[in-house]
Amino acid sequence: MATVSQQSSFSKIAWPVVAWIVALIFFFPIFWLVFTSFKTDQDAVNPEFLWRFTPTLENYTNMTQNYDYWRFATNSVITSTFATLFALFVGVPCAYAMAFNPSRHTKDILMWMLSTKMLPAAAVLYPMTFLTKNFLGIFDTHFLIILVLCLVNLPIVIWMLFTYFKEIPKEIIEASKMDGVTTWGEIKDILLPLAWGGVASTALLCFIFCWNEAYWTVRLTTIDAATLSKLIEGNRAPEGLFFGRLSAVSTAAIAPIVVLGWFCQKQLVQGLTFGAVK
Amino acid sequence: MSASKRTLPKLLQTPAVILLLIWMLVPLGMTLYFSFIRYVLNSTRRPEWTSPSLSNWRGFGNYEFVMNSKDFIFAIQNSVIIVTCILLITVILGLGIAVLVNKKFPGQGIVRVLLISPFFVMPAVNAVLWINMILDPVLGLNGLAVNGINNIVDGLRDFPVLGSFFSLWPELEPISFRATQTSKYAVIMMVAWQWTPFAVLIFMTSLQSEDESQKEAATLDGAGAWSKFINLTVPHLARPIAIVIMIQSIFHLSLYAEIEIVSRGNGNKNLPYLIGEFANNNIGAASAAGIFAVILANIIAIFLLRMVGKSLMD
Repeated sequence: MATVSQQSSFSKIAWPVVAWIVALIFFFPIFWLVFTSFKTDQDAVNPEFLWRFTPTLENYTNMTQNYDYWRFATNSVITSTFATLFALFVGVPCAYAMAFNPSRHTKDILMWMLSTKMLPAAAVLYPMTFLTKNFLGIFDTHFLIILVLCLVNLPIVIWMLFTYFKEIPKEIIEASKMDGVTTWGEIKDILLPLAWGGVASTALLCFIFCWNEAYWTVRLTTIDAATLSKLIEGNRAPEGLFFGRLSAVSTAAIAPIVVLGWFCQKQLVQGLTFGAVK
Repeated sequence: MSASKRTLPKLLQTPAVILLLIWMLVPLGMTLYFSFIRYVLNSTRRPEWTSPSLSNWRGFGNYEFVMNSKDFIFAIQNSVIIVTCILLITVILGLGIAVLVNKKFPGQGIVRVLLISPFFVMPAVNAVLWINMILDPVLGLNGLAVNGINNIVDGLRDFPVLGSFFSLWPELEPISFRATQTSKYAVIMMVAWQWTPFAVLIFMTSLQSEDESQKEAATLDGAGAWSKFINLTVPHLARPIAIVIMIQSIFHLSLYAEIEIVSRGNGNKNLPYLIGEFANNNIGAASAAGIFAVILANIIAIFLLRMVGKSLMD
């Protein structure tokens, strides 16, 4: 008995210590990025000023001038928001139909949708550029990026929504049918309030994926609809140059989504299951 | 009555299906077409090849050209190696960390927030941050840390007795992660760093639904912590593990930004990157390589979807 209690009191201290160390190691690169962003470009590459230096906000105040940050940030906000909304707008009815009126083919359709996500983007990049530039004339527009981001994430959105909707007892929906509620009313007044947490996690994850998307957004834009991914990929400096200002703009590029993630952490921890939990 | 009531709800999935069908078929059809013709962006010698036309039919010539190019097999191998390594690291680390933070302890909330943060970092920033500020052999922490160790060892050489031991210690050289042999590991490292939190998130949610009474019964039967983990927790997590593997494979098979930023594909091309290189001029070859990528993705997809799809509907 003594050994058991000794063990548990040891693990009572060791457990949190290990957890904290692991967490700090994982967070360290982000900390280092933010830390470096307060150094001047010269200090950032000088080992003498590794830890002790005079912090400066110059990298942030010059960000607009150096990188035109706000235009790219605005584009990111616009495209990610509308792509997420559009994906939900198309995805919710689809997942509703799949969860409450499944047919023999529902599973196959769902699997097929996911398989479109595995289509290598590089394989169809040239046709996409060709079509949007020469035929449709929508290359480098918000509309195109919104559409592409929506389509890229739609399979995952539908899958997530489907797994949440499936948990809702069918009887509730059936009962509302008896009362003569329309399909639209069912979705709006019964389904969405019941599955609110699931819809919110889905929207959040979709928004994160849209914000961080780095293939289509870089290659289907030049200036007008270019997002933060394009800004960072296009301005990565040669070795050692501009570490300070690059850190600042990188921090500014990830800050909105990291902070959003922090606030919604509970939602993600409980909501992100992809149907893995019964 | 019920028939008409049933049709509308079923129709609700058509917009999504049609959108995805167009999204898949139109570019894929064009890729297929381009893969059978000679089509280049610039050619002073053969200007007729610069616009797509059936008269430039090449049959399977582009496919042969791609298969015979020296990087093709390498790129496929590399794609598979990168994805496999990332999956192994994230699943194993993710399991460990999820179990670690599932217990109650002071500051659990903050620990979780810190742990999942890397998942929110955009790939471009991730790559810039790791390759410059952390892994750079001169200016990054990698170089500074190795220098620091060398300095400490130098200092220890002056000690009596122990000094003779440390004088045998070799001067360490920092590894350059932009080099041909190592760029792969830089990419694996940074992507695993970003996606381990995703695995942690999913495993953590599943752990919360684990049957505690079963574990208590096992404790009473004298089972150790390790055997409980292997015999109860891991089987309980089988499905979440399958899902983590599937979602990550989807994302990592098309890895591009990290590879571009780390070494511009030097020594570390995967299939998407090779396609991108072909597409700089030879659209026909790029399209043929694209069709190979589609085939590879389908082989993996069938395997993965079987694994996950089986239990999806019940």
